[in-house]
Amino acid sequence: MPKFLASLRLFFVLCALLAAVFVWQTLFHRGVPVYGTPWFAALGLLLAANIAACSLKRGLKAPAGHLLLHAGLVVVIAGAFVSRAHRFEAQLPLHTGRPADIAYHGGDSFRLPFTVSLEEFNIDYYREPRGRLVLDEGGHRRVFAAREGLVVRPASGGTVKVLRTVRDFGITSKSEVVEKSRYWLNPAVQLLVSAGGHERRLWIFSHFPGMHRGRLPFEVYYPLEQAEIRAFRSLVALRSADGTTRQGEVAVNRPLKFGDYSLYQTGYDPADAGYSLLTVTRDRGVWVVYSGFILILLGVLLWLRR
Amino acid sequence: MAAPMTLVNLSFALSLASLAVYAAGYVLSRPRLARAAPWTLALAWAALTAGLGVRWSAMGRPPLANQYESLLTLIWCLLPLAFYFRRRTGKEEIVPVAALAACLFFGGAALLDRTVRPLMPALRSNWLIVHVLSSMAAYAAFSLAAAAAAWTLLRRGEAEDFLLRLTKAGFAFLTLGIVTGSIWAETAWGAWWSWDPKETWSLLTWLAYAAALHLRLKGVKGRYFAMILLLCFVMVLFTYFGVNFLLSGMHSYA
Repeated sequence: MPKFLASLRLFFVLCALLAAVFVWQTLFHRGVPVYGTPWFAALGLLLAANIAACSLKRGLKAPAGHLLLHAGLVVVIAGAFVSRAHRFEAQLPLHTGRPADIAYHGGDSFRLPFTVSLEEFNIDYYREPRGRLVLDEGGHRRVFAAREGLVVRPASGGTVKVLRTVRDFGITSKSEVVEKSRYWLNPAVQLLVSAGGHERRLWIFSHFPGMHRGRLPFEVYYPLEQAEIRAFRSLVALRSADGTTRQGEVAVNRPLKFGDYSLYQTGYDPADAGYSLLTVTRDRGVWVVYSGFILILLGVLLWLRR
Repeated sequence: MAAPMTLVNLSFALSLASLAVYAAGYVLSRPRLARAAPWTLALAWAALTAGLGVRWSAMGRPPLANQYESLLTLIWCLLPLAFYFRRRTGKEEIVPVAALAACLFFGGAALLDRTVRPLMPALRSNWLIVHVLSSMAAYAAFSLAAAAAAWTLLRRGEAEDFLLRLTKAGFAFLTLGIVTGSIWAETAWGAWWSWDPKETWSLLTWLAYAAALHLRLKGVKGRYFAMILLLCFVMVLFTYFGVNFLLSGMHSYA
Protein backbone atom coordinates (compact mmCIF):
# COMPACT_ATOMS: atom_id res chain seq x y z
CA MET A 1 0.00 0.00 0.00
CA PRO A 2 2.69 2.60 0.88
CA LYS A 3 4.47 1.72 -2.39
CA PHE A 4 1.24 2.28 -4.33
CA LEU A 5 0.64 5.60 -2.54
CA ALA A 6 4.20 6.79 -3.15
CA SER A 7 4.21 6.09 -6.89
CA LEU A 8 4.43 8.73 -9.58
CA ARG A 9 2.13 6.54 -11.66
CA LEU A 10 -0.65 7.21 -9.14
CA PHE A 11 0.05 10.94 -9.45
CA PHE A 12 -0.37 10.78 -13.24
CA VAL A 13 -3.61 8.79 -12.90
CA LEU A 14 -4.97 11.32 -10.37
CA CYS A 15 -4.01 14.24 -12.65
CA ALA A 16 -5.82 12.56 -15.55
CA LEU A 17 -8.90 11.86 -13.41
CA LEU A 18 -9.01 15.43 -12.06
CA ALA A 19 -8.55 16.82 -15.58
CA ALA A 20 -11.46 14.69 -16.82
CA VAL A 21 -13.65 15.87 -13.93
CA PHE A 22 -12.79 19.55 -14.52
CA VAL A 23 -13.44 19.33 -18.27
CA TRP A 24 -16.72 17.49 -17.74
CA GLN A 25 -17.86 19.88 -14.98
CA THR A 26 -17.02 23.12 -16.82
CA LEU A 27 -18.01 22.13 -20.37
CA PHE A 28 -20.73 19.50 -20.18
CA HIS A 29 -22.27 19.27 -16.71
CA ARG A 30 -25.29 21.48 -15.98
CA GLY A 31 -26.35 20.64 -12.47
CA VAL A 32 -25.13 20.78 -8.91
CA PRO A 33 -21.31 21.04 -9.13
CA VAL A 34 -19.45 17.83 -8.36
CA TYR A 35 -16.91 19.57 -6.13
CA GLY A 36 -19.04 18.98 -3.02
CA THR A 37 -19.46 15.24 -3.57
CA PRO A 38 -17.76 12.63 -1.35
CA TRP A 39 -16.00 10.99 -4.33
CA PHE A 40 -14.41 14.31 -5.33
CA ALA A 41 -13.25 14.78 -1.72
CA ALA A 42 -11.80 11.25 -1.89
CA LEU A 43 -9.83 12.24 -5.00
CA GLY A 44 -8.41 15.27 -3.15
CA LEU A 45 -7.54 13.13 -0.13
CA LEU A 46 -5.81 10.56 -2.34
CA LEU A 47 -3.83 13.33 -4.09
CA ALA A 48 -2.67 14.75 -0.74
CA ALA A 49 -1.71 11.23 0.46
CA ASN A 50 0.16 10.60 -2.81
CA ILE A 51 2.12 13.87 -2.59
CA ALA A 52 2.93 13.27 1.11
CA ALA A 53 3.97 9.65 0.49
CA CYS A 54 6.21 10.61 -2.47
CA SER A 55 7.92 13.30 -0.35
CA LEU A 56 8.36 10.94 2.62
CA LYS A 57 9.82 8.30 0.29
CA ARG A 58 12.51 10.71 -0.84
CA GLY A 59 12.91 11.90 2.74
CA LEU A 60 15.53 14.46 3.63
CA LYS A 61 17.59 13.48 0.57
CA ALA A 62 15.24 15.61 -1.51
CA PRO A 63 16.18 19.27 -2.09
CA ALA A 64 14.59 21.74 0.34
CA GLY A 65 12.63 23.40 -2.49
CA HIS A 66 10.93 20.13 -3.42
CA LEU A 67 10.10 19.35 0.21
CA LEU A 68 8.61 22.80 0.87
CA LEU A 69 6.61 22.83 -2.37
CA HIS A 70 5.11 19.40 -1.77
CA ALA A 71 4.51 20.06 1.95
CA GLY A 72 2.76 23.31 0.96
CA LEU A 73 0.46 21.43 -1.42
CA VAL A 74 -0.51 18.95 1.31
CA VAL A 75 -1.18 21.84 3.73
CA VAL A 76 -3.37 23.64 1.13
CA ILE A 77 -5.42 20.48 0.55
CA ALA A 78 -5.70 20.02 4.36
CA GLY A 79 -6.89 23.65 4.61
CA ALA A 80 -9.47 22.97 1.90
CA PHE A 81 -10.84 20.11 4.02
CA VAL A 82 -10.95 22.34 7.14
CA SER A 83 -12.84 24.96 5.07
CA ARG A 84 -15.17 22.29 3.71
CA ALA A 85 -16.02 21.06 7.20
CA HIS A 86 -16.23 24.34 9.14
CA ARG A 87 -16.79 27.14 6.66
CA PHE A 88 -19.86 29.30 7.14
CA GLU A 89 -21.15 31.48 4.31
CA ALA A 90 -24.53 33.17 4.02
CA GLN A 91 -26.13 36.21 2.44
CA LEU A 92 -27.29 39.04 4.68
CA PRO A 93 -29.87 41.37 3.08
CA LEU A 94 -29.97 44.80 4.75
CA HIS A 95 -32.39 47.72 4.60
CA THR A 96 -31.57 51.11 6.09
CA GLY A 97 -33.01 51.52 9.58
CA ARG A 98 -33.86 47.82 10.01
CA PRO A 99 -31.26 45.89 12.08
CA ALA A 100 -30.85 42.33 10.81
CA ASP A 101 -29.29 39.16 12.20
CA ILE A 102 -30.74 36.52 9.87
CA ALA A 103 -28.57 35.36 7.00
CA TYR A 104 -29.58 32.99 4.24
CA HIS A 105 -27.85 30.23 2.31
CA GLY A 106 -29.78 28.19 -0.21
CA GLY A 107 -33.13 27.54 1.40
CA ASP A 108 -31.79 27.75 4.97
CA SER A 109 -31.66 30.70 7.34
CA PHE A 110 -29.14 31.28 10.14
CA ARG A 111 -29.23 33.59 13.14
CA LEU A 112 -25.92 35.44 13.44
CA PRO A 113 -24.38 36.11 16.90
CA PHE A 114 -24.60 39.85 16.13
CA THR A 115 -26.98 42.31 14.52
CA VAL A 116 -26.10 44.53 11.58
CA SER A 117 -27.75 47.87 10.83
CA LEU A 118 -27.30 49.54 7.46
CA GLU A 119 -26.79 53.20 8.27
CA GLU A 120 -26.07 54.32 4.73
CA PHE A 121 -25.48 52.80 1.32
CA ASN A 122 -23.33 54.79 -1.11
CA ILE A 123 -22.56 54.49 -4.79
CA ASP A 124 -19.49 56.41 -5.98
CA TYR A 125 -19.14 57.32 -9.65
CA TYR A 126 -15.85 58.19 -11.34
CA ARG A 127 -17.52 61.36 -12.60
CA GLU A 128 -21.06 62.67 -12.30
CA PRO A 129 -23.07 60.89 -15.04
CA ARG A 130 -24.66 63.02 -17.76
CA GLY A 131 -28.09 62.50 -19.30
CA ARG A 132 -28.42 62.93 -23.07
CA LEU A 133 -31.56 63.62 -25.06
CA VAL A 134 -31.46 61.74 -28.36
CA LEU A 135 -33.94 62.56 -31.14
CA ASP A 136 -34.08 59.99 -33.94
CA GLU A 137 -36.06 61.03 -37.02
CA GLY A 138 -35.95 58.25 -39.61
CA GLY A 139 -32.34 57.36 -38.80
CA HIS A 140 -31.16 60.96 -38.49
CA ARG A 141 -30.01 61.24 -34.87
CA ARG A 142 -29.38 64.41 -32.93
CA VAL A 143 -27.91 64.38 -29.41
CA PHE A 144 -28.35 67.16 -26.80
CA ALA A 145 -27.25 67.63 -23.20
CA ALA A 146 -30.52 67.09 -21.32
CA ARG A 147 -30.76 70.17 -19.12
CA GLU A 148 -34.01 71.59 -17.82
CA GLY A 149 -35.41 74.29 -20.15
CA LEU A 150 -33.78 72.89 -23.30
CA VAL A 151 -36.01 73.29 -26.37
CA VAL A 152 -35.46 71.15 -29.47
CA ARG A 153 -37.29 71.56 -32.78
CA PRO A 154 -37.87 68.27 -34.64
CA ALA A 155 -37.83 68.37 -38.47
CA SER A 156 -41.46 67.14 -38.47
CA GLY A 157 -42.50 70.38 -36.73
CA GLY A 158 -43.42 71.43 -33.20
CA THR A 159 -41.09 71.53 -30.20
CA VAL A 160 -39.75 69.23 -27.53
CA LYS A 161 -38.97 70.91 -24.22
CA VAL A 162 -37.16 69.36 -21.26
CA LEU A 163 -39.26 70.09 -18.17
CA ARG A 164 -37.44 68.05 -15.53
CA THR A 165 -34.72 65.48 -15.05
CA VAL A 166 -34.49 63.01 -12.14
CA ARG A 167 -31.70 60.62 -11.23
CA ASP A 168 -33.82 58.03 -9.43
CA PHE A 169 -37.46 58.20 -10.52
CA GLY A 170 -40.06 57.53 -7.87
CA ILE A 171 -43.75 58.27 -7.48
CA THR A 172 -45.68 58.95 -4.27
CA SER A 173 -49.15 57.75 -3.31
CA LYS A 174 -50.36 61.21 -4.38
CA SER A 175 -48.91 60.59 -7.89
CA GLU A 176 -46.14 63.14 -7.35
CA VAL A 177 -42.82 62.40 -9.02
CA VAL A 178 -39.93 62.47 -6.56
CA GLU A 179 -36.24 61.71 -6.67
CA LYS A 180 -35.89 58.58 -4.51
CA SER A 181 -32.13 58.90 -4.08
CA ARG A 182 -29.18 60.89 -5.34
CA TYR A 183 -27.93 57.90 -7.33
CA TRP A 184 -28.56 57.35 -11.05
CA LEU A 185 -30.57 54.18 -10.46
CA ASN A 186 -33.65 55.00 -12.55
CA PRO A 187 -32.90 58.16 -14.56
CA ALA A 188 -35.78 59.82 -16.36
CA VAL A 189 -36.52 63.05 -18.21
CA GLN A 190 -39.92 64.75 -18.45
CA LEU A 191 -40.64 66.26 -21.87
CA LEU A 192 -43.30 68.64 -23.14
CA VAL A 193 -43.99 67.69 -26.75
CA SER A 194 -45.92 70.34 -28.71
CA ALA A 195 -47.18 69.64 -32.24
CA GLY A 196 -50.23 70.74 -34.25
CA GLY A 197 -51.64 72.78 -31.37
CA HIS A 198 -51.52 69.79 -28.98
CA GLU A 199 -49.25 69.39 -25.96
CA ARG A 200 -48.24 66.15 -24.28
CA ARG A 201 -46.15 65.57 -21.19
CA LEU A 202 -44.10 62.36 -21.26
CA TRP A 203 -41.57 60.70 -18.99
CA ILE A 204 -38.73 59.04 -20.91
CA PHE A 205 -36.71 56.48 -18.94
CA SER A 206 -33.07 55.53 -19.58
CA HIS A 207 -33.69 51.89 -18.68
CA PHE A 208 -36.96 51.51 -20.64
CA PRO A 209 -36.20 53.10 -24.03
CA GLY A 210 -39.11 51.50 -25.91
CA MET A 211 -41.85 52.73 -23.56
CA HIS A 212 -43.39 55.38 -25.88
CA ARG A 213 -42.34 53.85 -29.19
CA GLY A 214 -44.85 54.59 -31.98
CA ARG A 215 -46.72 57.28 -30.03
CA LEU A 216 -44.63 60.14 -31.45
CA PRO A 217 -43.62 60.99 -35.05
CA PHE A 218 -39.98 60.49 -33.96
CA GLU A 219 -38.02 58.28 -31.54
CA VAL A 220 -36.70 59.86 -28.37
CA TYR A 221 -34.22 58.34 -25.91
CA TYR A 222 -32.53 59.38 -22.67
CA PRO A 223 -29.20 57.51 -22.43
CA LEU A 224 -26.55 58.15 -19.79
CA GLU A 225 -22.90 58.95 -20.39
CA GLN A 226 -19.95 58.30 -18.04
CA ALA A 227 -22.11 56.35 -15.58
CA GLU A 228 -19.24 54.03 -14.58
CA ILE A 229 -19.42 53.09 -10.91
CA ARG A 230 -16.25 53.42 -8.87
CA ALA A 231 -17.33 51.73 -5.65
CA PHE A 232 -20.26 50.44 -3.61
CA ARG A 233 -20.03 51.16 0.10
CA SER A 234 -22.24 50.14 3.01
CA LEU A 235 -21.83 51.99 6.28
CA VAL A 236 -22.93 49.51 8.95
CA ALA A 237 -23.20 49.34 12.74
CA LEU A 238 -22.63 45.95 14.35
CA ARG A 239 -23.72 44.87 17.83
CA SER A 240 -22.90 41.50 19.34
CA ALA A 241 -24.88 39.65 22.03
CA ASP A 242 -22.33 40.65 24.71
CA GLY A 243 -22.86 44.32 23.87
CA THR A 244 -19.71 44.87 21.78
CA THR A 245 -20.43 47.46 19.12
CA ARG A 246 -18.57 48.58 16.06
CA GLN A 247 -19.21 50.87 13.16
CA GLY A 248 -17.47 50.38 9.86
CA GLU A 249 -17.64 50.43 6.12
CA VAL A 250 -17.92 47.42 3.83
CA ALA A 251 -16.92 47.87 0.19
CA VAL A 252 -15.91 45.63 -2.69
CA ASN A 253 -12.32 44.53 -1.97
CA ARG A 254 -12.60 45.98 1.54
CA PRO A 255 -14.30 43.45 3.85
CA LEU A 256 -15.10 44.26 7.46
CA LYS A 257 -13.95 41.90 10.24
CA PHE A 258 -16.11 41.41 13.33
CA GLY A 259 -14.91 38.68 15.68
CA ASP A 260 -14.51 35.46 13.69
CA TYR A 261 -16.74 36.78 10.93
CA SER A 262 -16.02 38.78 7.78
CA LEU A 263 -18.59 40.88 5.93
CA TYR A 264 -18.30 41.42 2.16
CA GLN A 265 -20.14 43.83 -0.10
CA THR A 266 -21.96 41.57 -2.57
CA GLY A 267 -24.78 43.46 -4.23
CA TYR A 268 -27.35 46.20 -4.24
CA ASP A 269 -30.77 46.80 -5.72
CA PRO A 270 -30.96 49.30 -8.61
CA ALA A 271 -34.59 49.89 -7.63
CA ASP A 272 -33.87 50.61 -3.96
CA ALA A 273 -30.99 52.82 -2.77
CA GLY A 274 -31.70 51.79 0.84
CA TYR A 275 -30.84 48.14 0.25
CA SER A 276 -27.50 46.38 0.37
CA LEU A 277 -26.60 42.70 0.17
CA LEU A 278 -23.63 41.49 2.23
CA THR A 279 -22.01 38.07 2.39
CA VAL A 280 -21.04 36.87 5.86
CA THR A 281 -18.32 34.26 6.16
CA ARG A 282 -16.36 32.48 8.85
CA ASP A 283 -13.57 30.25 7.58
CA ARG A 284 -10.93 28.86 9.95
CA GLY A 285 -9.36 26.88 7.13
CA VAL A 286 -8.19 29.99 5.31
CA TRP A 287 -5.14 30.42 7.58
CA VAL A 288 -4.14 26.81 7.02
CA VAL A 289 -4.41 27.47 3.26
CA TYR A 290 -2.35 30.66 3.53
CA SER A 291 0.36 28.75 5.47
CA GLY A 292 0.40 26.27 2.59
CA PHE A 293 0.72 29.12 0.09
CA ILE A 294 3.78 30.47 1.93
CA LEU A 295 5.41 27.03 1.88
CA ILE A 296 4.61 26.61 -1.84
CA LEU A 297 6.05 30.01 -2.80
CA LEU A 298 9.20 29.41 -0.74
CA GLY A 299 9.51 25.97 -2.30
CA VAL A 300 9.11 27.34 -5.86
CA LEU A 301 11.73 30.00 -5.15
CA LEU A 302 14.28 27.44 -3.93
CA TRP A 303 13.36 25.03 -6.76
CA LEU A 304 14.03 27.75 -9.36
CA ARG A 305 17.44 28.54 -7.87
CA ARG A 306 18.67 25.00 -8.52
CA MET B 1 -6.07 57.67 -26.83
CA ALA B 2 -4.38 58.06 -30.23
CA ALA B 3 -0.80 58.10 -28.91
CA PRO B 4 -0.90 54.70 -27.14
CA MET B 5 -2.56 53.11 -30.18
CA THR B 6 0.11 54.55 -32.49
CA LEU B 7 2.86 53.20 -30.24
CA VAL B 8 1.21 49.76 -30.03
CA ASN B 9 0.84 49.69 -33.83
CA LEU B 10 4.49 50.74 -34.16
CA SER B 11 5.47 47.89 -31.84
CA PHE B 12 3.45 45.46 -34.00
CA ALA B 13 5.15 46.79 -37.16
CA LEU B 14 8.62 46.48 -35.58
CA SER B 15 7.90 42.89 -34.49
CA LEU B 16 6.89 42.06 -38.06
CA ALA B 17 10.02 43.85 -39.31
CA SER B 18 12.19 41.82 -36.90
CA LEU B 19 10.68 38.61 -38.26
CA ALA B 20 11.18 39.77 -41.86
CA VAL B 21 14.79 40.84 -41.24
CA TYR B 22 15.63 37.47 -39.67
CA ALA B 23 13.91 35.59 -42.51
CA ALA B 24 15.70 37.69 -45.15
CA GLY B 25 19.07 37.10 -43.45
CA TYR B 26 18.38 33.35 -43.32
CA VAL B 27 17.14 33.04 -46.92
CA LEU B 28 19.86 35.26 -48.42
CA SER B 29 22.55 33.72 -46.16
CA ARG B 30 23.43 37.16 -44.79
CA PRO B 31 24.19 36.68 -41.08
CA ARG B 32 24.82 40.44 -40.64
CA LEU B 33 21.24 41.15 -41.78
CA ALA B 34 19.84 38.56 -39.37
CA ARG B 35 21.81 40.22 -36.55
CA ALA B 36 19.57 43.30 -36.90
CA ALA B 37 16.52 41.23 -35.86
CA PRO B 38 17.14 41.37 -32.06
CA TRP B 39 17.65 45.14 -32.22
CA THR B 40 14.41 45.60 -34.15
CA LEU B 41 12.61 43.42 -31.61
CA ALA B 42 14.13 45.43 -28.75
CA LEU B 43 12.76 48.59 -30.38
CA ALA B 44 9.35 46.88 -30.61
CA TRP B 45 9.49 46.24 -26.87
CA ALA B 46 10.48 49.86 -26.19
CA ALA B 47 7.54 51.12 -28.30
CA LEU B 48 5.17 48.77 -26.47
CA THR B 49 6.53 49.89 -23.09
CA ALA B 50 5.93 53.50 -24.08
CA GLY B 51 2.44 52.67 -25.39
CA LEU B 52 1.45 50.89 -22.17
CA GLY B 53 3.01 53.67 -20.10
CA VAL B 54 1.08 56.40 -21.92
CA ARG B 55 -2.12 54.35 -21.66
CA TRP B 56 -1.52 53.88 -17.89
CA SER B 57 -0.87 57.59 -17.43
CA ALA B 58 -3.91 58.65 -19.49
CA MET B 59 -6.30 56.25 -17.75
CA GLY B 60 -4.90 56.72 -14.25
CA ARG B 61 -4.86 52.95 -13.74
CA PRO B 62 -2.65 50.04 -14.83
CA PRO B 63 -3.53 48.71 -18.30
CA LEU B 64 -4.56 45.29 -16.97
CA ALA B 65 -8.34 45.51 -16.81
CA ASN B 66 -9.51 43.62 -19.89
CA GLN B 67 -8.30 40.99 -22.31
CA TYR B 68 -6.91 43.49 -24.82
CA GLU B 69 -4.73 45.12 -22.17
CA SER B 70 -3.67 41.81 -20.62
CA LEU B 71 -2.67 40.49 -24.07
CA LEU B 72 -0.43 43.54 -24.60
CA THR B 73 1.04 42.86 -21.14
CA LEU B 74 1.65 39.25 -22.17
CA ILE B 75 3.68 40.46 -25.17
CA TRP B 76 5.48 42.95 -22.90
CA CYS B 77 6.54 40.00 -20.67
CA LEU B 78 7.34 37.71 -23.60
CA LEU B 79 10.02 39.83 -25.26
CA PRO B 80 12.34 40.35 -22.23
CA LEU B 81 11.94 36.64 -21.38
CA ALA B 82 13.08 35.82 -24.92
CA PHE B 83 16.12 38.12 -24.60
CA TYR B 84 16.99 36.63 -21.21
CA PHE B 85 16.91 33.07 -22.53
CA ARG B 86 18.80 34.08 -25.71
CA ARG B 87 21.55 35.47 -23.50
CA ARG B 88 21.56 32.43 -21.20
CA THR B 89 21.51 29.79 -23.95
CA GLY B 90 23.13 31.63 -26.86
CA LYS B 91 20.37 30.37 -29.20
CA GLU B 92 19.65 33.02 -31.85
CA GLU B 93 16.49 31.19 -32.99
CA ILE B 94 14.70 32.51 -29.89
CA VAL B 95 14.46 35.95 -31.52
CA PRO B 96 12.33 34.95 -34.56
CA VAL B 97 10.32 32.58 -32.36
CA ALA B 98 9.51 35.46 -29.97
CA ALA B 99 8.83 37.85 -32.87
CA LEU B 100 6.42 35.35 -34.43
CA ALA B 101 4.62 34.80 -31.12
CA ALA B 102 4.41 38.59 -30.55
CA CYS B 103 2.97 39.12 -34.06
CA LEU B 104 0.33 36.43 -33.49
CA PHE B 105 -0.67 37.99 -30.16
CA PHE B 106 -0.73 41.50 -31.65
CA GLY B 107 -3.01 40.12 -34.38
CA GLY B 108 -5.25 38.56 -31.73
CA ALA B 109 -5.30 41.81 -29.73
CA ALA B 110 -6.47 43.72 -32.82
CA LEU B 111 -9.67 41.62 -32.78
CA LEU B 112 -10.50 42.45 -29.15
CA ASP B 113 -12.50 45.31 -27.67
CA ARG B 114 -10.15 48.29 -27.14
CA THR B 115 -12.67 50.56 -25.44
CA VAL B 116 -11.08 52.46 -22.56
CA ARG B 117 -13.15 52.16 -19.38
CA PRO B 118 -12.39 52.98 -15.77
CA LEU B 119 -11.75 50.09 -13.39
CA MET B 120 -14.91 48.36 -12.18
CA PRO B 121 -15.20 48.08 -8.37
CA ALA B 122 -14.15 44.41 -8.32
CA LEU B 123 -10.81 45.25 -9.99
CA ARG B 124 -9.92 48.20 -7.75
CA SER B 125 -7.30 46.38 -5.70
CA ASN B 126 -3.53 46.36 -5.27
CA TRP B 127 -3.62 42.64 -6.08
CA LEU B 128 -4.52 43.45 -9.71
CA ILE B 129 -0.95 44.24 -10.75
CA VAL B 130 0.80 41.27 -9.15
CA HIS B 131 -1.94 38.75 -10.07
CA VAL B 132 -2.32 39.75 -13.73
CA LEU B 133 1.38 40.39 -14.25
CA SER B 134 2.42 36.99 -12.85
CA SER B 135 -0.30 35.21 -14.86
CA MET B 136 0.73 36.98 -18.09
CA ALA B 137 4.42 36.26 -17.39
CA ALA B 138 3.46 32.57 -17.01
CA TYR B 139 1.53 32.57 -20.29
CA ALA B 140 4.46 34.36 -21.99
CA ALA B 141 6.93 31.71 -20.79
CA PHE B 142 4.57 28.90 -21.84
CA SER B 143 4.08 30.56 -25.26
CA LEU B 144 7.83 30.70 -25.80
CA ALA B 145 8.17 27.10 -24.59
CA ALA B 146 5.43 26.00 -27.01
CA ALA B 147 7.01 27.90 -29.91
CA ALA B 148 10.41 26.41 -29.06
CA ALA B 149 8.82 22.95 -28.78
CA ALA B 150 7.27 23.37 -32.25
CA TRP B 151 10.67 24.53 -33.54
CA THR B 152 12.31 21.44 -31.99
CA LEU B 153 9.78 19.16 -33.68
CA LEU B 154 10.04 20.87 -37.08
CA ARG B 155 13.83 21.25 -37.17
CA ARG B 156 14.52 18.01 -35.27
CA GLY B 157 16.84 20.12 -33.18
CA GLU B 158 17.81 19.89 -29.52
CA ALA B 159 16.39 22.47 -27.16
CA GLU B 160 16.04 20.25 -24.12
CA ASP B 161 17.53 22.47 -21.42
CA PHE B 162 15.92 25.59 -22.88
CA LEU B 163 12.47 23.98 -22.94
CA LEU B 164 12.81 22.82 -19.35
CA ARG B 165 13.97 26.23 -18.11
CA LEU B 166 11.11 28.03 -19.83
CA THR B 167 8.58 25.52 -18.50
CA LYS B 168 9.95 25.90 -14.97
CA ALA B 169 9.79 29.71 -15.25
CA GLY B 170 6.19 29.54 -16.53
CA PHE B 171 5.22 27.08 -13.79
CA ALA B 172 6.69 29.36 -11.09
CA PHE B 173 4.83 32.41 -12.44
CA LEU B 174 1.58 30.44 -12.80
CA THR B 175 1.91 29.27 -9.17
CA LEU B 176 2.36 32.89 -8.09
CA GLY B 177 -0.62 33.93 -10.25
CA ILE B 178 -2.89 31.27 -8.73
CA VAL B 179 -1.77 32.02 -5.14
CA THR B 180 -2.19 35.80 -5.49
CA GLY B 181 -5.52 35.32 -7.27
CA SER B 182 -6.69 33.11 -4.44
CA ILE B 183 -5.74 35.66 -1.76
CA TRP B 184 -7.41 38.42 -3.78
CA ALA B 185 -10.57 36.29 -4.19
CA GLU B 186 -10.73 35.88 -0.40
CA THR B 187 -10.61 39.68 -0.03
CA ALA B 188 -13.06 40.47 -2.80
CA TRP B 189 -15.55 37.59 -2.78
CA GLY B 190 -15.03 36.03 0.65
CA ALA B 191 -13.82 32.70 -0.71
CA TRP B 192 -10.23 31.75 -1.54
CA TRP B 193 -11.49 29.23 -4.08
CA SER B 194 -14.91 29.26 -5.78
CA TRP B 195 -14.44 26.74 -8.62
CA ASP B 196 -15.07 29.55 -11.09
CA PRO B 197 -14.27 28.24 -14.65
CA LYS B 198 -11.15 30.44 -14.87
CA GLU B 199 -9.88 29.14 -11.53
CA THR B 200 -10.68 25.55 -12.47
CA TRP B 201 -8.91 25.79 -15.84
CA SER B 202 -5.91 27.53 -14.27
CA LEU B 203 -5.64 24.63 -11.82
CA LEU B 204 -6.02 22.19 -14.72
CA THR B 205 -3.20 23.97 -16.60
CA TRP B 206 -1.05 23.93 -13.45
CA LEU B 207 -1.66 20.18 -13.01
CA ALA B 208 -0.83 19.57 -16.69
CA TYR B 209 2.54 21.34 -16.42
CA ALA B 210 3.21 19.64 -13.04
CA ALA B 211 2.60 16.28 -14.73
CA ALA B 212 4.84 17.32 -17.68
CA LEU B 213 7.69 18.25 -15.31
CA HIS B 214 7.29 14.93 -13.43
CA LEU B 215 7.21 13.00 -16.72
CA ARG B 216 10.51 14.59 -17.60
CA LEU B 217 11.88 13.42 -14.24
CA LYS B 218 10.83 9.92 -15.30
CA GLY B 219 12.96 10.28 -18.43
CA VAL B 220 10.51 11.59 -21.04
CA LYS B 221 12.71 13.89 -23.17
CA GLY B 222 13.28 15.19 -26.69
CA ARG B 223 10.40 15.05 -29.14
CA TYR B 224 7.99 13.47 -26.61
CA PHE B 225 8.58 16.26 -24.09
CA ALA B 226 8.11 18.84 -26.86
CA MET B 227 4.80 17.23 -27.86
CA ILE B 228 3.63 17.21 -24.23
CA LEU B 229 4.45 20.93 -23.94
CA LEU B 230 2.40 21.66 -27.05
CA LEU B 231 -0.54 19.76 -25.54
CA CYS B 232 -0.16 21.70 -22.28
CA PHE B 233 -0.14 24.96 -24.26
CA VAL B 234 -3.56 24.07 -25.71
CA MET B 235 -4.80 24.26 -22.11
CA VAL B 236 -3.13 27.65 -21.64
CA LEU B 237 -4.94 28.92 -24.75
CA PHE B 238 -8.25 27.56 -23.54
CA THR B 239 -7.75 29.01 -20.05
CA TYR B 240 -6.88 32.42 -21.46
CA PHE B 241 -9.22 32.70 -24.47
CA GLY B 242 -11.66 29.77 -24.43
CA VAL B 243 -12.94 30.29 -20.89
CA ASN B 244 -13.64 33.98 -21.61
CA PHE B 245 -15.56 33.33 -24.80
CA LEU B 246 -17.29 30.03 -24.02
CA LEU B 247 -17.88 29.93 -20.27
CA SER B 248 -19.42 32.47 -17.96
CA GLY B 249 -18.02 33.16 -14.52
CA MET B 250 -16.64 35.71 -12.12
CA HIS B 251 -13.66 36.41 -14.43
CA SER B 252 -15.88 37.71 -17.25
CA TYR B 253 -13.77 40.88 -17.65
CA ALA B 254 -10.44 39.00 -17.96
